[in-house]
Amino acid sequence: MPITDKISAANKIHEFLNVVVNKGGLRLKYRITVDPPLPEERDWERPEILVEFAGPDSAALLARGGALLRALELLALEMLRLPGNEHEKICFDCRNQRSLRIEELRAAANVAAEKVRTSGTPYQFAPMSSRERRIVHLALREYTDLRTESQGEGLRRSVVLYPGNYKSSSPR
Amino acid sequence: MSETAPDVSGLVEYIAKAMVDAPDQVLVKQLEEGDATVLELEVAESDMGKVIGRQGRVVRAMRALLDAVSDRFDKQYELEILE
Repeated sequence: MPITDKISAANKIHEFLNVVVNKGGLRLKYRITVDPPLPEERDWERPEILVEFAGPDSAALLARGGALLRALELLALEMLRLPGNEHEKICFDCRNQRSLRIEELRAAANVAAEKVRTSGTPYQFAPMSSRERRIVHLALREYTDLRTESQGEGLRRSVVLYPGNYKSSSPR
Repeated sequence: MSETAPDVSGLVEYIAKAMVDAPDQVLVKQLEEGDATVLELEVAESDMGKVIGRQGRVVRAMRALLDAVSDRFDKQYELEILE
């Protein structure tokens, strides 16, 4: 389901970031693109509004695994009051960090798949956000001899990869 | 390097007002406590969940933003939510 009014959503994001820059004093520039062209066919993330940052303080956005970038994205999503299943329609990025992170997750998924195939035992990924877990689930979809589940609650929720015939003894 | 200090209480107030149902009940007090500047955020009781967020995600995001401003200006800004 698309965001009902993308222009109005983009304007709200612009107003929020303008406050972050002016009141927070962060030297950031940003460009907001509605319906950005995607570099390739992909089914794991199709943002309808892309926000790209640059500027002297953009390194701060990427520090600690992109914590500030994700924080700004989350605040924008909450302000727009988008339901959880629409969150991936908005993407905040800086110096291609998002694409690099997706590549990293997909590579980790492939390594884990080989491990599970060889060992025959489950593999548990580190806890991740729902958006990142979705990328891992989708990356592993092509391994039809394996299956994935999300386990744990809240901030500790993580993807677990099982051999297809493995009987889960998890309490959940 | 002389730079104007950031308006952190204005920043927190803007974000909180954008999140809640009762923006007129948002209040931010700025207090100096030793080396730190503490921002006390007060919202309507019914809006508390919105500024805290699921598993504290929203308040954590606001604190991450304040941490970045703290680093940028070599100060310490802290956010407390008054219950």
